[in-house]
Amino acid sequence: MTTRIKELDGAPSVLAGYGRAFASALPLVSSLPLPVSLPGGGSGELPDLELRVPSLKTDLTHLADYAKVCGFTLRDTLPATYLNVRAFPVHIALMTDGDFPFGPVGLVHLRNAIRHVRPVSVREELSLRVWVTGLDPHPKGRTLTLHTEAAAADGEVVWSAESTMLKLGGGSGERVERGADPDVPASVTWTVPGDQGRRYATVSGDRNPIHLYGLTAKPFGFPRAIAHGLWTKARAVAALEARLPDAFTVDVEFRKPVLLPTRVSFGSSTDAQGVTAFAVTDARKGSAHLVGSVTPAKKQRTSRRTTTANGGTTA
Amino acid sequence: MTTELRKVAVLGGNRIPFARSNSAYAAASNQDMLTAALDGLVSRFALEGERLGEVVAGAVLKHSRDFNLTRETVMSTRLDAATPAYDIQQACGTGLQAALLVANKIALGQIDCGVAGGVDTTSDAPLAVGDDLRKLLIKLNNARSTGDRLKVLAGVRPGMIVPAIPRNEEPRTGLSMGEHQARTGARWGVTRAEQDELTARSHHNLAAAYERGFQADLVTPFLGLERDQNLRPDSSVEKLAKLKPVFGGPQGTMTAGNSTPLSDGAAAVLLASEEWAQERGLPVLAHLVTGETAAVDYVGGDEGLLMAPAYAVPRMLDRLGLTLQDFDIYEIHEAFASQVLSTLKAWEDAVFCQERLGRSAPLGAIDRSRLNVNGSSLAAGHPFAATGGRIVAAAAKELYERGGGRALISICAAGGQGVVAILESNGSN
Repeated sequence: MTTRIKELDGAPSVLAGYGRAFASALPLVSSLPLPVSLPGGGSGELPDLELRVPSLKTDLTHLADYAKVCGFTLRDTLPATYLNVRAFPVHIALMTDGDFPFGPVGLVHLRNAIRHVRPVSVREELSLRVWVTGLDPHPKGRTLTLHTEAAAADGEVVWSAESTMLKLGGGSGERVERGADPDVPASVTWTVPGDQGRRYATVSGDRNPIHLYGLTAKPFGFPRAIAHGLWTKARAVAALEARLPDAFTVDVEFRKPVLLPTRVSFGSSTDAQGVTAFAVTDARKGSAHLVGSVTPAKKQRTSRRTTTANGGTTA
Repeated sequence: MTTELRKVAVLGGNRIPFARSNSAYAAASNQDMLTAALDGLVSRFALEGERLGEVVAGAVLKHSRDFNLTRETVMSTRLDAATPAYDIQQACGTGLQAALLVANKIALGQIDCGVAGGVDTTSDAPLAVGDDLRKLLIKLNNARSTGDRLKVLAGVRPGMIVPAIPRNEEPRTGLSMGEHQARTGARWGVTRAEQDELTARSHHNLAAAYERGFQADLVTPFLGLERDQNLRPDSSVEKLAKLKPVFGGPQGTMTAGNSTPLSDGAAAVLLASEEWAQERGLPVLAHLVTGETAAVDYVGGDEGLLMAPAYAVPRMLDRLGLTLQDFDIYEIHEAFASQVLSTLKAWEDAVFCQERLGRSAPLGAIDRSRLNVNGSSLAAGHPFAATGGRIVAAAAKELYERGGGRALISICAAGGQGVVAILESNGSN
């Protein structure tokens, strides 16, 4: 089977794809006989499709807004998590492609791993490649992994990411126990305001209703709006930014959603190998919202970690 | 206990290109810019993870939340988080005064190395609420009951909502700095033509410095800028002559061209003891020999607001037994072309030198070809607190490249103050 390659010109519109995505996700709408084809009408297999954005430039105003929302210093290089939001509309375009077996709404983000090959200047022109792999069995459903690669003008891959998402339902395989809460002492408390989801929605384009208001989150089973997982990750990476080497991987596992507004704790500790473990935890209960690690590139094991079906559960 | 004074080495500097107000750095905060300047210095001198003696910097326009700006900045850089830091503020003298403070501690052996710097943004300026509203908000915060709070809120008047915008204005005279300088310039008979000539030369000299690669290890690009945004290599006396006066009324001689524009930027300079430099194999560009600060009474007295350097320099020269002509280069900060020219005229004036400085003879003229040889604030722009760091690093490097020499640095500041200093270099020997 050959990979179908589709080139997107410029930044694809998030709203076009996402609007349809939500229409198909809402129980009422999806049961209506609509004349348009909604995502989720595919064959059940993930499409062998690769989306490319040949030219991606950094808008400094957008970058500054992103840095502010996430707590990064505005620098001459991109924050390690920034390309996640630039890739987001491409992910949506991929998942709302007619061949995709289901829409993006309702997918649970399990894991996001970034390989930061080198600092990327705000002036660099990049190209993006996005594709998907899966579906892999999971006790609660099936998982898929969105792959993103950002390359510099000379073709060198300077940044890549893997996001593992869970499609609930039809689970199989053994129930895997979640890893223990990380042994990272919390050192900082963040007050996360009720509009955090809306603020991140503005800079990321991810206007999934579960992040916006309590009322819009309820139909999807959340008592209150929840923070974007990728915001929580970005905030954590921002807290570590002064200690990040030039080349590293930062891998996080999303555990409990962060219900807004709230107070969360953040802590990190670095071991003898230079690997920094960090966690965002419930400030009262101590249970983990997010656990992650930063591994300097030099000290990385030669065999790259493979995406496990149970979404990065590490023992 | 007596302490032998140590020589203080200037090892280099780093700054970000200066931007015009509300332009390339409109979204950047003081902390962002100072972090960029510091991190650039850290990577240039391989200081990652190093604990420095201290970092001293400041900003003239500062948000109240930035009370610990320099320390917060240090924690955003790759320096060891155990590096202490503090903020200072002496208007446009901030950067040079910071360098003198760090240098003095190095000379006394209290620290071995340190960074001095400064940053300013006129784009992300701190707006304050007016005094009436501020007092009311404090009352509101202290109110215990809803009833009390409502009572306080009932006192809000629409006029209170207008924010207090920081102005480039002397609190005691209500005059802008430009208006002050227009009076001083008129007193010294500074002409439009000589101001425009000085301005054009500043642009040409800075452009030439970029062209010959002089700035390559002094400036790190930031947010799309690689050179100072205000720099106009094709500036000319003819073009400058077309501008309308902005200070001193319709007959004024000061224009937007021969006055520095509001700008954003940050600069930092690395100072150390000779031993510290030697241990790391870092060449000593120059030594920071001494400094002097003066102030003048521009309110009750009749001295010009920006004339304090005219007093500081002779005091410093006398201490060292030097004359004004004993310098290879002169770095006189160009707040306004008129300020530089007024200062030079004062030193040449027998009456001023006798009556104001108590000297039997004038300090005399300087060789103008040695003045601001790599351009100064008229071309680069002048983010107030960042200017000192820019000048110290560039002057030290210039002396080093010349194979040695002596530089005079002079910076005028709001509040009738002036900070001056001397650098000496043996070149690469």
